[in-house]
Order: sequence, then structure tokens, then C-alpha cells
Amino acid sequence: MKLSPDKKLDLREVLEGLEHYRPRRTGWRWRRRRDDPALGPFVYREATEDLAHSVPLPAAHYFGDIDPQCDMVITTEIASGRFEDDLRRMRMAAWHGADHIMVIRTTGQSHIDGLIEGTPEGVGGIPVTRKQIRATRKALDAIEDEVGRPINLHSYVSGLAGPEMAVLFAEEGVNGAHQDPQYNVLYRDINMHRSFVDAAEAKKILADAGILQLDGAHNANATAKQAWKVTPELFVQHAVNTGYSRAAGMPAGLIALSTVPPTAPPAPKLRLDLPYAVALRELFSGYRFRAQQNTRYMESDTQEATVTHVLDTLLSRLTSADIQSTITPDEGRNIPWHYNNVAGVDAARQTLMGLDGLMDMIELRQDGPLRQQVRELKERAVLFLEGLVANGGYYAAVADGQFVDQGYFPERRGDGIARDPDGGDGAGSVVARAPGYGAPVCSHFGVNVYAGRSGKPCADYGGCTLCDPDKIQYVDELDAEDNVEQRLREPLAERAAGVLRPEVEKHGDGIVCVTLLVPERAEVAEAAALEMARHMGLANAEVISRRLLHPAEGSVFEVKGRLDITVRIDALPMKPAEALLDDADIEAWVRGRDIHLVAATVGEDEHSVGLHEILDIKHGGIERYGFHCHDLGTSVSVERLLDAAEQSRARAILISTIVTHGDVHKRHMRQLHALAQQRGLRRRLVLIAGGTQISDELARACGMDAGFGRGTTGRQVASFLVTRLRALEA
Amino acid sequence: MSCEPRPDDFESRRQHLKALSDAELSERFWALVDQIVAPLIEEARTHTTPSIERSVLLRMGFSSLEAGQLVERMQARGLLGEGAGRLVLELANAKGITLREVGSGLLAGRYWNELS
Repeated sequence: MKLSPDKKLDLREVLEGLEHYRPRRTGWRWRRRRDDPALGPFVYREATEDLAHSVPLPAAHYFGDIDPQCDMVITTEIASGRFEDDLRRMRMAAWHGADHIMVIRTTGQSHIDGLIEGTPEGVGGIPVTRKQIRATRKALDAIEDEVGRPINLHSYVSGLAGPEMAVLFAEEGVNGAHQDPQYNVLYRDINMHRSFVDAAEAKKILADAGILQLDGAHNANATAKQAWKVTPELFVQHAVNTGYSRAAGMPAGLIALSTVPPTAPPAPKLRLDLPYAVALRELFSGYRFRAQQNTRYMESDTQEATVTHVLDTLLSRLTSADIQSTITPDEGRNIPWHYNNVAGVDAARQTLMGLDGLMDMIELRQDGPLRQQVRELKERAVLFLEGLVANGGYYAAVADGQFVDQGYFPERRGDGIARDPDGGDGAGSVVARAPGYGAPVCSHFGVNVYAGRSGKPCADYGGCTLCDPDKIQYVDELDAEDNVEQRLREPLAERAAGVLRPEVEKHGDGIVCVTLLVPERAEVAEAAALEMARHMGLANAEVISRRLLHPAEGSVFEVKGRLDITVRIDALPMKPAEALLDDADIEAWVRGRDIHLVAATVGEDEHSVGLHEILDIKHGGIERYGFHCHDLGTSVSVERLLDAAEQSRARAILISTIVTHGDVHKRHMRQLHALAQQRGLRRRLVLIAGGTQISDELARACGMDAGFGRGTTGRQVASFLVTRLRALEA
Repeated sequence: MSCEPRPDDFESRRQHLKALSDAELSERFWALVDQIVAPLIEEARTHTTPSIERSVLLRMGFSSLEAGQLVERMQARGLLGEGAGRLVLELANAKGITLREVGSGLLAGRYWNELS
């Protein structure tokens, strides 16, 4: 399957032949350092290999459209409930730099004692099944070819079916997985004996398949009211899973700690979070770190969330992280939308590229409060472990409620989560292995009569599925109604008919979000905002974010609603794509004609970057074709431009106008046109305007011959000039 | 039940730790972890679960549906401690048939009295 950047992902092709699809590789992939540190006008200290296709950061066009890639793997978590919609979002995220795609499971999958098959729709995630995993891996294989970097697929090996899920992941080329029995015990109330016995088998399977394991400790500070107070316990949770993983045969390089900076402003975030981050990295030296961003104190304000996440990412750079995970800025208000996955990924890479090489210049002070607090945290963690031992071991301590107590250990509030070692889901299902117990398969943990023999344990029957994938039994669909084929009927028919709807999550959802400032006290303003949204034709209008600007002066709202309309592509008023002249044609026509141009930023406007991009030879501007450009600079009057044009017998005037207050940009364009007419110059002069708020349509309406907006290249301007001047000569 | 509330008595509790070097503190941390993990991993080494046994059958070439039913029936007969995979493989060897033939036979209600 091969993708083309100008074509949508073909879901039919993804689903075709899945029964025979095999992943091209197993195991996790890290980014690779870029050989040459120079990129555009800069030299990077931490850049990794470029992408073949990507969407650079918005400001990249000032630097030759470079798109440097940071050293950390970037994670985005995707789960709409329909994997077929998620695949398109994965492609968007990959173009923005995500190379770790975490697929969230549907609510309740942890409690299903066995694997699910087919493609049923999920809630808050997808039911992770062989077909969905296989389709996702197949799509990601094509997407990674398109962007030119391996993409790691990730999901969860928790719940009652951990070992089976691990086998599924190993067979289907999943690259990363959450596996932490404590998560089952504390948050899912799954029996602790069952969870730990299952976990050893699952970890052995993951380890042999080279799958990177993430732990679940971050959940403790996602649930605690005062998340910074559970830090001593977090060391212990990380350590129990790490120690257990090592004992089950997992190498250190595949063990990643999932860690979250516990606080958010207005808390003194870095002062609290930095000692914790440093202590963790010191105690767990040699292991990998997956830095997650804070969700505990997230509200519905996406800007506030983004600032917290930028600080989280700064903390990763000040300490270390192998993976920078991202939280979508809208997670505080809804299941994430497509563009917020991209926003989260963009915020992380923008931050990390901005911090490139920082630690070559600064270091953390070791003679102040940092060292003292690091030490204190470690001692509190050791005291927690001692308490665990004194309590009679892990199971007894959990039964006693030692975990997720909100006191700052050794302080205790008595509000921890207590679980009965003989209770919970799956209680009583652990069975002692008989003396002759055997499991004739690879990657099996523990006592096994087949393990001590020479050759593989599966040699007797020609190999297990991990050795011979042809033996894998593929189950397609079990439910005639709840499956991807049924769900895709309408979307594919609409797509074929060229029908479009707005979308944030699932095909055809029609959801839009509008921002409204209502200048009234909050309660009135909110009612008014909803009424206004209804007038816009939005069904089920709902305020998803509100920010008070002033108790009496007003509030700003984001209102989501469904825009229940469709647009037909073939009925859109589309301008035919502009055909540009070849560079060689332009130059051949211009050279030898001695064509002079006059250019300036007009009015009271000191912006000059855009105009330089269009004119200067070093930016690929129009000088390179042989035009003689007279750049008069910034804040130049229209009169002076026309004077200069007369003196130099210029054939064209190029104005840049960035400031738009009071429509001053329109006034300048109209003045230039009118004054050129008055002086009798208009017929022989080509007038061109450019600027971030200029469109061709607007410029022509203001008397210009052409207008150019954001992102214009010198070639576009030169091509237009030559076409117009040729016509004038004719 | 949950731990009884108590104040933050860190200063008095840390007395035995404060003289330790950073490296010694780290060593103590990991020694305690090993001590806590040891009985847990020992239980895993010597015990099994329905999920483990289903995962074995998956690896032997059965579907999740087949593995689920086979393990459920073995569990009902108290046979899981023998290892679902071993039972299937030994039966296949004894009868000279394939693993999948054993599986479909068991699912059809045959061979159960031959399992030990």
C-alpha cells in the first residue's frame, strides 16, 4: 500500500486482504541523529533525521521552510471510538512529527476476560482487536513510508487478558505497551494475585518481542487531589513494576517509566516538579523515561493547558526524556478532536526545537534547595518501602490502604485505596502449576517442562505462532451490524459523491466550534452566546469553554454545535490553479530588457521581512531573474513611490502593507491607484500589493493589478509580472 | 480498611537514613524493592491463570474463540494446573493427529476422558 500526499487514505485498501497482512517488523524504534547538524540558517545540537513529508511549524517559512526534528520520540494518544477515523488522524499527526501513536482502549475492556474480535465501535477508545490492530499497523506502515520515519504503535496490556493481549501485540507488530499490574489492582479492582501472575507472562512476551513497556505510575498523580504529595509513592510504584519486569526477564532498555510533572500553575510548578524529576532520573538511572504532560489540573481552557504543557516539556529538557508524550489541549473538555492532537504535537516540537542545545549553556545548581529536596524525596521513598515491608509485603500493604493515600509520606491521611487480596475481578482464578506443568511455546515465564530441553519449547509441532506466523488464526467479524463495513457505507458514499461536512472527530459529525465575546456579565453573556450560536444554525449548541474577562464587561466563550449542512465539491466556486511560468522562461524574458521596479512598505509601517522575501536574491526573490529592484524601505509614502517610479522609468510598483488598523491597507492601495492615474502613469505601470492580510481579490478591488498574501514566493510574483508586461508590450 | 492517619514525622523517621551516602540510599532503595518483588515473582513462576493458558493456546495456533472455550472447559475439570498446551500437545502426540484436530475434537466433546 502506497500513499500519495495529495490523496486521502483509502480505507477500502486498508481493509482489503487483512487476513494475509503481516507487520514488516517487531519492536520499538528510536529516532536517529541527523548526520549533518546544519539545517537552513542554523546548526542544531539535538536534531534527528528529517522527514520526507511534513508540515513545518508556521514560522518555518522565514527560515527556508526547514522542519528540524527533535531528539525525543513524540507521542499522541488517539481514540475516537472508530479506528477508521483514527487512522486519518494518525496520518495528520505523523505529518506534524508524532512517531508514537497510542491507541486508547474502549471503556471496560480491562474487565473482559479474553480477547475481543472484529471491529465493534468503542466508547472513549476502541476495542483493541486483532483486526483493528492489523488494519492500524498496515495503515501506519504506509504512513511511515510517506513521512519517512518509523512510527511506533502502542496500546495496553492490562486487565484480565494481559498475556493474550501481549501475544496479540507480539504477533501483530505493536511496538509499545502499557503493562503494570498495579494499575489493575489499584484502579480496576482486578484481583492482585491474578494481576501479578498474568503480568510476569505478559512481560516475558513483550520483552522477547522487543516491545517497549511503559508503566502506570502516572495514574497516581492523575487521581490525587494534591498530586505533588504522592511523589514518594510514585517512586515505589515505578520501582515495583521495574523490579518485577526485570525479574520477569525484561531488559532495562525496554523499561520506560511513565512520569508526569505533578503540578500546574498557579502552583510554583518547576520548583516543585524539578526536584521530583531529578530524583526519579537518579534513582532509575539506566531506564527509559516517557515524560507525560499534566492532566490533573487541566480545565477547559486550551491556552492554559498548552502553557502548562510547554512547562512540562521544558522540564523534560532540563532533566531528560526519551519520549515526550503529549496531551491534547482539549482533553479537559471533550474526547480529543483531530486538530487538537496536531496542536499538542506541534506545541511539543515547537518547544523542543526552541530549547535545542540549552543544556550546553546552563546547568542545574547543586548547591541550593534542589539537592536538598532531591535527597528528601529519595528518603521519603525509602521510608515508604520500609513501611511496605513492615506491613508484611506488597499485598498486605495494599490491603492496608498504603497506596494512593494523599498524605505526604510518612504523613498519612487514611484515605488510600484498599483492596482485598482475595477479592476483585478474577479472584480465585490463579492455579498452582502441577509438577508436570508444561507450556510448549516460546516466551513463556516460569516453571515449564518444555523449557529445560534443547531446542525451542515449540519444536515438537513445528513452531508456535511467534516462530511461524502462518499459524495465527485470524478472526474477521463476529457482529453483522456493529462493524467497520456498516459504519463506512455512508461516509464512503458521501466521499464518492464529493460531499463535504465539517468534522472534528468522526466522519460527518458536523461539529464546529465558534468563539464569541459577549460584553455582558457572565450569566447573561453565556445565555446570549448560546442564543447567538443557535442563530448561526448550530444544533445542540453547548458552551465548552468560558473565560471571564471582567465581571461586568464581558466573557469569552467557545461554543460547539453541529452544522447540519453538506457542501458539494463540484459546486464550489474554485479558481483554476495558477499556472506559473518556468524559472528559465521568466529569466530569458527579463534579462536584457533592463526592467526596473520600485518597491516599499507603505504608510506608517516598519515591516520589511515579507518584501525582502519577494525581492532579495538571497531569499530566492525576483532579483534573481534580472529585475532591477529599487527598494525604498519602510514607512514610505505613496507619492514618494510614484516619484521614484517616474525617475527610474520603472515598469512596476510593489507595495507591502502589513498594518490593517482602520483598513489603512485598503486606503494605501486605492491611493496608489488613484495617484498613478492622476499622473498619467497608470497604463504603463503594473501595481502589485502584498501582505499577510492581502488577497488577490481584495487588491484588485482596491485598484491593484494583483495581490499576494501569506506564503507567496518570488517566482509567483515574477511569473505574474512577466505575463502582464508581455501583454502590455503586445 | 485504610492506614490510620498520622502527621508528617519525616524528621524522626529518617534518622537511620541521614548518614547514608546518596549511593547507599539508592542501594537500600533497590534492595527493598527486590525484597518486595521476590514473593510476587515466585508466585508467578509457580502458578498459572486462565489468561496465561489461553495465551499459550493462541501461540499454538488456536483462535481466541477456541482458546477461550478450551480453557474454560479445562478449568471446569480442574485441569489448568497441568498446562492447557501440554494437554493438547500430549494428546496430539498420543493419537498421531495435529494440534488443531485435537482442539476441534475437544470442542466437539471428544477425548476429554483421555486428558490427565
